[in-house]
Amino acid sequence: MLRYLSLLLALLFSAPAFASSLEITIITSASENRLDIGKSFAGITVEPHRPVLRAVELALFESSTLFETLGIETKVQQIELDTNKDFKDQLSAVSPSALVILDVPLKLMEELAVLANQMNIVVINVRHSNSYLRESLCLANVFHTIPSDSMYFDALGQFLVYRGWRKVLLVQGPSERDIERAQTLLKSLKKFGTTIVDQRTFSLSHFPDDRDKNKPEFLTGGVSYDVVAVIDSQKDYGRYLQYSTRIARPVVGDIGLTPKSWHFALERYGAPQLNERYRTFKVDERIGPQVTMTDAEFAAWSAVKLITNSINTRLDKGDLNVLSILNDPASQVDLYKGTRGSIRHWNHQLRQPILLATSQAVIAVAPMPKFLHPKHYVDTLGLDEPESECQLR
Amino acid sequence: MTLVARWTLPLFILIVLTVRHDPVVAATAVISNERSGDIVFMDEAGKTTDIIALCARPRGMAQRMSVGTLYIACSDDGHVVEFDVTTKQVKRIFPNLPGAMSLAIHEPSNRLVVSNEGLATATVLDITSGELLATLATGHEPDGVALTTDGSKIFVASENAGIVHIFDGKTYEPIKRLITNLRPRRLGIRDKELWVSSEMGSRVEIFDTTSFEKIDEIIFAPRGFRSEQLTPVDIIFDHSQTTAFVALGSANHLVIVDAIKREIIKYILVGRRPWGLALTPNGEQIFVLNGLSDDVTIIDIKSKRPIRTSRTGLVPHSVEIFK
Repeated sequence: MLRYLSLLLALLFSAPAFASSLEITIITSASENRLDIGKSFAGITVEPHRPVLRAVELALFESSTLFETLGIETKVQQIELDTNKDFKDQLSAVSPSALVILDVPLKLMEELAVLANQMNIVVINVRHSNSYLRESLCLANVFHTIPSDSMYFDALGQFLVYRGWRKVLLVQGPSERDIERAQTLLKSLKKFGTTIVDQRTFSLSHFPDDRDKNKPEFLTGGVSYDVVAVIDSQKDYGRYLQYSTRIARPVVGDIGLTPKSWHFALERYGAPQLNERYRTFKVDERIGPQVTMTDAEFAAWSAVKLITNSINTRLDKGDLNVLSILNDPASQVDLYKGTRGSIRHWNHQLRQPILLATSQAVIAVAPMPKFLHPKHYVDTLGLDEPESECQLR
Repeated sequence: MTLVARWTLPLFILIVLTVRHDPVVAATAVISNERSGDIVFMDEAGKTTDIIALCARPRGMAQRMSVGTLYIACSDDGHVVEFDVTTKQVKRIFPNLPGAMSLAIHEPSNRLVVSNEGLATATVLDITSGELLATLATGHEPDGVALTTDGSKIFVASENAGIVHIFDGKTYEPIKRLITNLRPRRLGIRDKELWVSSEMGSRVEIFDTTSFEKIDEIIFAPRGFRSEQLTPVDIIFDHSQTTAFVALGSANHLVIVDAIKREIIKYILVGRRPWGLALTPNGEQIFVLNGLSDDVTIIDIKSKRPIRTSRTGLVPHSVEIFK
């Protein structure tokens, strides 16, 4: 079933220099119940999974003066994909010139990315930070604006070294995703020179004999460390580690000090203005007031802003071909994080600073001081060109 | 004991001589501090002489030297205050200016232009009567404002839109929108040139104020910094308008530019994220506010060397210097 939501924002005002249009299509899945994602015991949801539509509309709203000046029309289409029907048929409703934002679960995203690439549709991954996607989905028409796990954890690794907290106890969950992310974290921590004093796994089992093994005091005891790094993708168990460790040490990773791409409390770089706009923009009565963009929403916002900001940075201001914009090194985006972002040509990842934040404050913005890269300021975060095995096709 | 006695007299003389040789204090700098909500008074040597708790988030300032008055944008209070630098009292409040950010004064026509960051407008006020003369619609996050010397044109930079809006100084009708590089911040007018700092575009763009064509751009490259760390904000010119000074933000340098040849003369290392700038009235020193390290670097222009760094309030935003 196709749900077609069309929105015309264009305002033709004064004599435009030229007229063109920008179309954004957001693909969601009809079989996904977002309210169930990340829900743990007693119906508690630690991290919301909101649709990215509002962030996309906000990005277009911000650029309305520029669109008006240049006579650019914009259109947002939303397709709710029926997972029981043929995808190709459903994707044929997408305009070939549109920028397509994939706001769908991981497996579906991978499938759609391959299909879209065959159909010459340009798609953006805004939801999945899995580092392997940056190596496996090396497709000419596929881009990632959400940071990779490597970027998040490199930021954390730099922070720990900068603080001098070099002895790390790693506590991780047993899920496949936890194992994948723990490996990425270990790689980052080793890269920047920290020592892993031990690696321990908690289980989510309810088997009575396992109970003692999962006691935070036991799990974090018998060893000396500066800091505990927690990998708990479900954010269920890990929440209870902070303030329960055997010795008094800070907790980082998925709990405590967390690497994020966006935060409501960023005070610098114009961020308060963006947060204020987001808070007041098209408030959805059903979801209630929104304090901040999730990382997926920020990724969707960044993707649209990269297209609109490129009008300012590229010489050919009339060219709104999304693929040529994404492939042009002159395309830059103002991310309200003090350093502009752009696409890494070797794996189509948006390079950007990463925030290290608690639930209430941004403690640091990575790259941390003295972590230098020969070419790009933020390229000490994530897979660098020589490390990447990505062969775009 | 004998050692102490032997050194006491020369040390005493040395101290007296040092005090006597202090430079004659000729000017006073006033610094607005966003985070601490105060203004700091400082002498030319960088010594704090007074601190006044002023308002919520004081940012942009403009001065009318002739009457010893300073106008200060109190962003989170949503107004601009008229501040007497002699009595150190607020004389008047211009209300209803939400998110007031940058200010510009046109002395001959007695007008004050204020950019309202949260509202996507700029406001033109009559300074004497306080009367609202015009509300100018801009793109989101308007920051830098400037007027031509004859007051015939008003320029307002919209950070978010990447546009400099140009309005007629008499009718207040929009004349033109200049598309700039990313995040245009501050504007400088030099003869028939409009200089625009593009914070996220890492450059200064120069436009003709009559034809509105882009004439040139200056791209910065101090040693040891990557392009995206260059985030220029304030631009000021010396009295002869032959030299420009630009604060380079995250690149932690002030740059001196030959404004005629448009060539870099020198990069000078200052504190972290320099942005606000002001020249002393005699044109011999420049005060550079470092927004991330909460201090001010005072630079001697002749030798092009920093002579002192002093603490300011928290998040220093703008500086104005009086005789």
